[in-house]
Amino acid sequence: MEPWQAELNRSRFDAAWDLFLDRYRRLIFSAIRHYAQDYDDVMDVFAHVCEALREDDLRRLRAYSQQPVHHARFSTWLVTVVRHNTVDWFRHRDGRRRLSTVANDLPPLRRRIFEHVFLHKRSHVEAYELMRSAGCVDLSFGEFLVEVSATYRAVGDGRRGRILRELGGSTPPLADVEDEAATVSERREELALALSSLSADERVAVELYVMEELPAETVAKVVGWPNAKAVYNHVYRALAAMRTRLEQAAPRDDR
Amino acid sequence: MSIFGEIGRHTREDMIDSDRLDRLRRDFHTDEFAIPTPQCLDPEIIAALAEGTLDAAGRAGAVQHLAGCPLCRRAVASVAAALADGPVTHEIEVVEGRRRRRGPVLRVAVSFAAAATVLLLLWSPAADRFTGHRGPSPPPPATTPIPRSPVGTVAAVSDLRWSHVAGADRYRVTVFDATGGVVFATEGSDTVVAFPDSITLVPGASYLWKVDARTGFDRWAASELVAFSIAGPRRE
Repeated sequence: MEPWQAELNRSRFDAAWDLFLDRYRRLIFSAIRHYAQDYDDVMDVFAHVCEALREDDLRRLRAYSQQPVHHARFSTWLVTVVRHNTVDWFRHRDGRRRLSTVANDLPPLRRRIFEHVFLHKRSHVEAYELMRSAGCVDLSFGEFLVEVSATYRAVGDGRRGRILRELGGSTPPLADVEDEAATVSERREELALALSSLSADERVAVELYVMEELPAETVAKVVGWPNAKAVYNHVYRALAAMRTRLEQAAPRDDR
Repeated sequence: MSIFGEIGRHTREDMIDSDRLDRLRRDFHTDEFAIPTPQCLDPEIIAALAEGTLDAAGRAGAVQHLAGCPLCRRAVASVAAALADGPVTHEIEVVEGRRRRRGPVLRVAVSFAAAATVLLLLWSPAADRFTGHRGPSPPPPATTPIPRSPVGTVAAVSDLRWSHVAGADRYRVTVFDATGGVVFATEGSDTVVAFPDSITLVPGASYLWKVDARTGFDRWAASELVAFSIAGPRRE
């Protein structure tokens, strides 16, 4: 048992906190810096993380400490908690309209897109409709999506991009200009159906490997497969199964 | 082209075509944002998934949830990426006792040791007998290609050359004009490619080019974009 946990068990919360912080301060900072680069941001997030961990007499640390069985190492749990709090902090801050420096550098249209998509969590279709009804945009939906993609690319560069990508959800569809909303929606439904035909672990592997671009070794660990080769094989088979399903579901229209 | 065509062509052979994979990635986005639910995974389960320590029974349930929850998938991917980040990995090793953090005393000791090593190398008679390579150790293998030519203003472009990337089995070259339009694109396994005569480069106009090296299954390492322009007629 670590000294801070011993103090925690004696309900000496201040002492436990001091010992905990002395031991894990650097890890907390390194995890925050994975997502945030600006010094002020890092310090503010650190304060936010400390506040969250200290609240209620170290409730979170107590809860972890009192669990009879642990599935993950404490350090990994801590990185996860720091990640969640970092995302929360940025979401809260940007929710108060403090646009990041990157967003401030965007041209007006893309800044509006940033506000709608990143801050107000609007879907791309919603953002488009809102901006069109407000007279802010005179583009087809396909052209609008090109702007959305450009906005993601602009804010997604560099280390700052990590946190902005977290706030913005998945990478937006880089839709072809000629795609219209109905086509995009239809294609998504088709793919959602095809994805749903996969087993849960295959779907997770496809999503993590193809979408999140995690290394195959990491995907293997998450899904519980023996190695990267198993991931390659499963993903190949999953894509082939999806292809078959799609071919069966619709007429062949472009062969 | 319809989505059926996209997926239909996605065979084992063409899966390594990154353009097609990129198109596939777009189409996988079936939901833009997700709302947390009470079923969402708690931090310890996310941590265990990211580090691969969840037992089989726990993993089965968690993976089932991940399959339908982009929010938790993103969290697992995010934590896994953080765990692979050098500084984070280092600090975890330190707190778990697998690595020592250098204190002031240790730093001084290391400095003395380094100085002593240098002196020994300089003064040791053995050093005089040493006939092997005395230069600095070779640089680590490059992980991204470096465009060599053309760069800057050139008289003509007959080929494009770049540096070798260890482990790369294929290179993809793209030349853009000033508006971002693709002027020339090709793939090959060598670190040089001939620029076709059929393509006319306008003297005085600016062009950009880059090269991507395939370093593994669906893994491409991209060079920086490099600018060049033609000073005179394209062919001498």
